[in-house]
Amino acid sequence: MKKAAVLMRKAPYGSVYTAEGFRAVMGIGIFEMDVVLTFVDDGVYALVKNQDPEKLDMQALGEGFPMLPEFGVNGFYVHQPSLEARGLSPEDLVMDVQLVDDAGLAELLAEYKTVLPF
Amino acid sequence: MLYTVNKSPLMTNNLETCLAVAPEGEPILLYEDGVYATTEGSHPAEQIKAALKRHPVYALEADLEARGIQHLVEGVQVIDYDGFVGLVEAHDVVPWI
Repeated sequence: MKKAAVLMRKAPYGSVYTAEGFRAVMGIGIFEMDVVLTFVDDGVYALVKNQDPEKLDMQALGEGFPMLPEFGVNGFYVHQPSLEARGLSPEDLVMDVQLVDDAGLAELLAEYKTVLPF
Repeated sequence: MLYTVNKSPLMTNNLETCLAVAPEGEPILLYEDGVYATTEGSHPAEQIKAALKRHPVYALEADLEARGIQHLVEGVQVIDYDGFVGLVEAHDVVPWI
């Protein structure tokens, strides 16, 4: 089975990257690939609870991620140093994730080989 | 002059250079991804705490709510869109974008 790691590094509302990454992952699901999502740098903000962009006339993104396993996503990995630098802990996130350090992230990306950046 | 920052403090050095340049007493307004700097416990929170000793610091409410930012550095003043307009009317603006 083809494998791919999605590398999310942008904050959710300052650009279209997070929303486009989310859309792409939903589409990938139909190809029966082994897909994992990794959240690094400002990408970790995508998973923060209680996002409410109503006053910005935008769609909330965080609550959508927990449903992605139904679209074939096999893992959610969060870079712990990125989380800590932002004053966040796993309890602040919308779902249970696996935490990885620098080496763990590099190993994961090497294992999956194909890296899709958003 | 009103200095405004709209980029993430951990992905650009905009906040850092803005705070280095802004003279003491001038107001700082954070909006869009700039508001992430106000998260208590984050690395940029230390920059904000230092800035609060020299400047009034404002953050736009709609951008805080959108991003789920719950725990703000004490002393940061949350303003709505009317407050934003009021600041822009009262000052010439240095957009540090």
